[in-house]
Amino acid sequence: MGCTWCEISQLESLELYFSIHYNIDRQLRSNFTFHHCFDQIPQMSTRWLPAAQLTASGRPVFILGEVESSLLSGVDIEPDDQYPNLSPLKSGILILTTHRLIWISDSSSAFAIPLSAVTHIFSPKKSIKAMFASPRIRIQVLVSPQNGCLDEKGSKSMVITIVVRGKTDPEAFLGKLWEAWRGRAWETLKEESSSSTSTDEGSSRSGIRTRSAVVGVAGILRKEQEMWESTDKSLQDAFQDLNALMDKAKEMVMLAEKMRQKLLSGPSTQGTGTNDEEIGSKQEMQDWMLSVGIASPVTKESAGALYHQQLSRQLADFVKIPLEKAGGMISLIDIYCVFNRARGTELISPEDLLQACSIWEKIDVPVMLRKFDSGVMVIQNKSYSDEEVLARINALVLKPDSLRSGISASDAAMALGIAPAMAKEHLLTAESKGLLCRDISPDGFRFYVNLFGEILTEDIYLVKDYGTYGTWISAVLASR
Amino acid sequence: MNRRPGIGGLQAAAAARDQYRLLGASVAKRRTDLMKEQLVTFRSQLEDFARKHRNDIRKNPTFRAQFHEMCAKVGVDPLASNKGFWAELLGIGDFYYELGVQIVEICLAARPHNGGLINLQELCNLLGQKRKTAREAVSEDDCLQAISKLKVLGSGFEVISVGKKKLVRSVPTELNKDHNEILEVAQGQGYVTVEEVQRRLSWSAGRATDALETLLEASSCQSIEGLAMIDEGHRDGKCHYWFPCISSISSYVGS
Repeated sequence: MGCTWCEISQLESLELYFSIHYNIDRQLRSNFTFHHCFDQIPQMSTRWLPAAQLTASGRPVFILGEVESSLLSGVDIEPDDQYPNLSPLKSGILILTTHRLIWISDSSSAFAIPLSAVTHIFSPKKSIKAMFASPRIRIQVLVSPQNGCLDEKGSKSMVITIVVRGKTDPEAFLGKLWEAWRGRAWETLKEESSSSTSTDEGSSRSGIRTRSAVVGVAGILRKEQEMWESTDKSLQDAFQDLNALMDKAKEMVMLAEKMRQKLLSGPSTQGTGTNDEEIGSKQEMQDWMLSVGIASPVTKESAGALYHQQLSRQLADFVKIPLEKAGGMISLIDIYCVFNRARGTELISPEDLLQACSIWEKIDVPVMLRKFDSGVMVIQNKSYSDEEVLARINALVLKPDSLRSGISASDAAMALGIAPAMAKEHLLTAESKGLLCRDISPDGFRFYVNLFGEILTEDIYLVKDYGTYGTWISAVLASR
Repeated sequence: MNRRPGIGGLQAAAAARDQYRLLGASVAKRRTDLMKEQLVTFRSQLEDFARKHRNDIRKNPTFRAQFHEMCAKVGVDPLASNKGFWAELLGIGDFYYELGVQIVEICLAARPHNGGLINLQELCNLLGQKRKTAREAVSEDDCLQAISKLKVLGSGFEVISVGKKKLVRSVPTELNKDHNEILEVAQGQGYVTVEEVQRRLSWSAGRATDALETLLEASSCQSIEGLAMIDEGHRDGKCHYWFPCISSISSYVGS
């Protein structure tokens, strides 16, 4: 076992750690960024943060009432200097929710800092050094005195530094962190059960509102008049402002086009040092283009905007249940409606959905997007196999009833337990594979088993009495 | 550039390449910074606009239509993603996506009646009934915008023009020109006969019958029901082909 980044073996990295760690003065040590090799050394790193659960697609499992509030990428979490045996967490995604700070690494390990353990959030230091270094957010948390592990009931405290190396806005994040921390959402859960009676009284009191008296026909007319006046005036302003805004937007679009060319041209440098930065700035560009409203392409290197990456994981989790109900395959338009209805607010656009589904190819999830010849796009389980369905259709079509009068889409739908539209797709696929033949008659559109394969080209009138041909003859004769 | 032979030459060439690369990187960085600045200015301008006119956009469909037209001219798509500035600051994203979901529901409910084609006017009426509680007016243009977004999901949502009317298609069936022309003819009375089609469009009997049969059957690839209904019991003995999507029968039972 070794470091996945630099391929140094564990034994070697232990030596490295010792040689660097103990030979350098303590003061200097804090200014070095250690090779993250050291995270892999089990003896040295202690789990000092509680682990967080992840779903199969890499999204955190939320507790009851927990709501996600913000997301930062490229984040390191560093413990206090007082506890030298605690190893820092490098390069992950930090998700702020109403209850916790969840850190997810690229290798799918996750830790969480419950906000109830936070005792203080420091305001950012404004110094010269701070301008050049990556922005840092420092919070004070409660720890247990023995080993420095995070403990909500601990007696000692420790300062944790959150280093934001990714190119996102730490100030906004800090604001949201304050809000979430002050909101104390984790406490309301305990309060709710005890103070349910008092809330009832409170709500009834607030229900009695005094309304300004605008009564009668005069009132209605006056309201209409006011509405018209305000609309008229504001529309003039609105159109002027709109024009100004659009001019600005035009400039943005021209700049974005240039950026997009650069994005699509692919990596040009051969040096290994600049790769990180390039990938980072490409990610940034994707995010910008998305904000302005220009479609960001999902290229081979980048996986689209960060928003879409998270959305695709969320979608992979969500889609499992509807997929079960629909029998393994569900059309994109159906999932769009179901997903948006479930969301309630902050709906996603159809393009968001499409982007999220196309990202699935890059990450390891058990679902995939599939496009049929007719243009219909569906989501299906990766484990879903066409062969299995074709075998079932084959069995269905060889039954005596079906040999006599064929099967229609609705018959297949009932027998296979899937939606009629999907059943039709499957029947057409079976036909294109040579398994079935279609029959269009005034009775409708039906499918029969394909017997053409059994007819010998030398003697096409020979009526076989074995094989599928034979079975068919006997079934048809039996009905007479 | 002089290519000197030997190690010295290679080193010089490598150094020159490095220089160019650094220069390129700094130019790129400058461009990136410029873009960042522009974005911040643009965002603040959009915030001002939103503060003043957010309600206008919500309440006034004409203004909304104008807004979309200008966005299209400039080349930005305000509905592209819910994470964009437009959706975030103006709040129109949710409005259109919700509208999209409602349109899909209405189309699916009406499909057994009309086979997947519905009149745009009809759709707007049904939407109005469904959205009685919401206070925001929905214009035809809003529907058109929402449907144009739904197109990417691949199930064939599209608006087609037949003569003066606009129809919304919700099945992936491709309607070829012949079908469109028949629909145009049907606009007058809601139904056509084979003779009428032959007379008005000067087609052969075979062509007219073929097209009508296709519209009637469920053989068009994705719809289980056909787009036309046949009435063979008419007094004059001829077959009448009715098109519920064209006619003004608006007594659908809403879901």
